[in-house]
Parts: sequence; structure tokens; C-alpha cells
Amino acid sequence: MAQQKATDASVKLAELLKLQVGSLAEAIEKEGQNIFGGSNNLLGTDEINDFCIEFLELLVALLQSKDPHDDASPQFHALEMYFNNLSKQILVRGGRVEDLVRYIQFMQRTLIDALGNEKRITVDDARTMLLFLSGLFNELILAVFQAYLEEKERTVYAQEAELRETATPITEIWDGVLTLPIIGTLDSNRTMLVMEALLNRIAKEHASAVVIDLTGVKNIDSQVSHHLIQMVQAVQLMGSDAIITGIRPEIARALISLNIDLSNVTTRASLSDGLKEAFRRMGILVGKKAD
Amino acid sequence: MAIPGLHLTQIGSDDFLLEPTRNLNIRAQDVLLESITARLQQAGAARLYYDLSEQPLIDPVYYGWLDALARTIQAINVRMVCIHMQPTAAFALSKFMLEVPVFETALDISGWQKTGQ
Repeated sequence: MAQQKATDASVKLAELLKLQVGSLAEAIEKEGQNIFGGSNNLLGTDEINDFCIEFLELLVALLQSKDPHDDASPQFHALEMYFNNLSKQILVRGGRVEDLVRYIQFMQRTLIDALGNEKRITVDDARTMLLFLSGLFNELILAVFQAYLEEKERTVYAQEAELRETATPITEIWDGVLTLPIIGTLDSNRTMLVMEALLNRIAKEHASAVVIDLTGVKNIDSQVSHHLIQMVQAVQLMGSDAIITGIRPEIARALISLNIDLSNVTTRASLSDGLKEAFRRMGILVGKKAD
Repeated sequence: MAIPGLHLTQIGSDDFLLEPTRNLNIRAQDVLLESITARLQQAGAARLYYDLSEQPLIDPVYYGWLDALARTIQAINVRMVCIHMQPTAAFALSKFMLEVPVFETALDISGWQKTGQ
């Protein structure tokens, strides 16, 4: 009985929307222009109009579906996806999630206002329609927040990846010779990331030698020095040669006090010396041109 | 005579290439070691290239096999050079390896680098 009442109310609401589609679209488009158009420059006039028409079409399709309350129906999913895409588009262009939520609340208000203009609707129908609209728009706002969080996560992940990339600038300075200047503080996590990037780069470039420059490293602890030795071992295991350069006196002292065995590691005082050593091992001669 | 689980090919006057297949059963280590050593000795080999390109991970068991093979053929004066080690394998191996391995490593057969510096 209650189900039938709800369905009847949905049909009536769909009819009402169809009758007032012109005024509804106009109001929603106008608000869209205020929030996203003009100087805000988030959506063009055509885009706002298209979005508005699509929204009303999807809402009518949902109201005319077998069960408009079924949040697993294709019509409901289509409406959810519509708001998901709209929010992604607006957020990517620098829009704020608050504005989008206000816009959705305006849509809801406009529809409720439309109910008030229709005299044929009974109090009972109006109550059912209000409940339906309230539940529907809550779900849509949730979809917008979900899209917002996904977009934020994606941005944070991209920024982290960029930071990792810039923090480990592995450069092929010569055919088969890679340099890796490490700057800042080395912790276990960063050392592991550097190691992973370095080993993949060796495989990709088929590098014969790697010069790891520690001139910019200010602190090192037991765990990190252990990881550093592991990195050198892994490079050697791949068949490449690892040369560590630019060990500061305080780092050298720390390594010795930590009982780190450097006997299997080739070290040179500076990056320049390290490169010379790599070239020497590869049989490359770099010198001044004879006059 | 073919040795089960691997291809052993002579690639020069005294160089051999060992390419393990998926069927390599390193649990039957003793039989494998004897067969490979006999073949190398017979041909008067000086170097054995062990191709690791199909080995994405080297765990202590597999490392034990490589170590045993390198030590065994060292007894007949054959050097073992592991080639094409994958980044993931090198990463994993460096985590548990405590000393310099008996075998040498190179990027490929024409590689020049030696691990035992």
C-alpha cells in the first residue's frame, strides 16, 4: 500500500516536472551561471545548460522507473554518475566542493518550490515527495563528496609521486653511466624508494656504472647506512658498478662508529672523482683537445 | 645429453650459457650439480653464464642453489657469472645477503663488471 502510494507520488512528481520544465530549467541554469559561469569561469554557458537539461531528464527517468526508491537501479546509478562527473569536472577546473553542494541544495529547493505552486497535489503526496527528494538529494551530495575525496586522493598521490621523482633525480650523464645525487635527510623509507627507482633505471638504461653522490646528505643512522650498503649490493648484483662519492667527514665518522663495512664499496672523494673512476673502468678517456 | 630443467649451451670456445626453465628442480641439487659440472669439465669450460632473466625473485633457497653451483664449478676452475638479474631479484637478494656472493654478476654476456671487487 505504502509502496503504491510512493510510486503514485513519483508519477505525479514526474508529470509536474514535465509541466514546469521550462521554469525549472531556467532557475537552475541561472543559479549555475551565478556559481560556475561568468567570472568564475568553471563552466561555459552551453555546458551549464546541457548539464541542467541532462539533470532534469535523468530525474524524470528515475521518477518513471519501476521503483524510484531503489538506489541500485540503473536510473539511480545514472543520476549518481552524472553528479560524480559534474563534481570531478568542476574540481579539476579549480572549483570548490562547497559551491557544488550549494548548487545541489538549490536544485532541491527549486523542486520543492515547484511542488508548492501545484494546487492539485494533496498534503499526503507532498509529504511523500518531500521525503523522496530529501533522500535522493542526500545520496547525490554523498556522491559529490565521494568524487571530491577521490579527486583529492588522486592529487595527493600525484604530488607525492612528483616529489619522489624530484627527490631522486637519476640522470644518465654518459652512455651507461647514471648519477644519483642524494640531497637532504635519508630515512629508511626514502632509501627504499631511491633503491627501487635506481634498480629499475639500471635495467631500463642498461647502465654499467652508478655514481651515488652523498654530498647533500647531512645525517645518517645505522639503519639507513645498512640500506645504503644494500643499495650498493643490489646495484652490483645487477651487474653494474656502484661508486659512492661525497661522503662528508661526519658521515664517514658515523659509518665507522656504526661498524659499517665499506671494503666492498668503491668510494671517491667527490662526484667528479667518481665520474672519472666510472669512465676509467669503462675505458672512456675524457681530456682536453690537443692544440 | 640434456639435463632436465635447463639448457646448457656452449657459446664460445670455453664459455657456456645456462638457461634455467620453469621445470628446474633445485631440490634435486646434487644430481644437477654433478651433471652440469661433468658437462663443463668435459668441454674444458672456463666460464659459465647463468641467465636470470626469467627469475623475478631470488629467495634464500634459490640463492643457496646459485651459491652451491658457483662453488662446485669453482672446484674445476670455472667462473660463474650471473647475467640479466631483474631489479626485483637484486632488491630481494640484497635484503638477506650477508657477504659478497661467490659468483660474479654482469648486465649481459658482454658485461664488464665483477662483483667480487
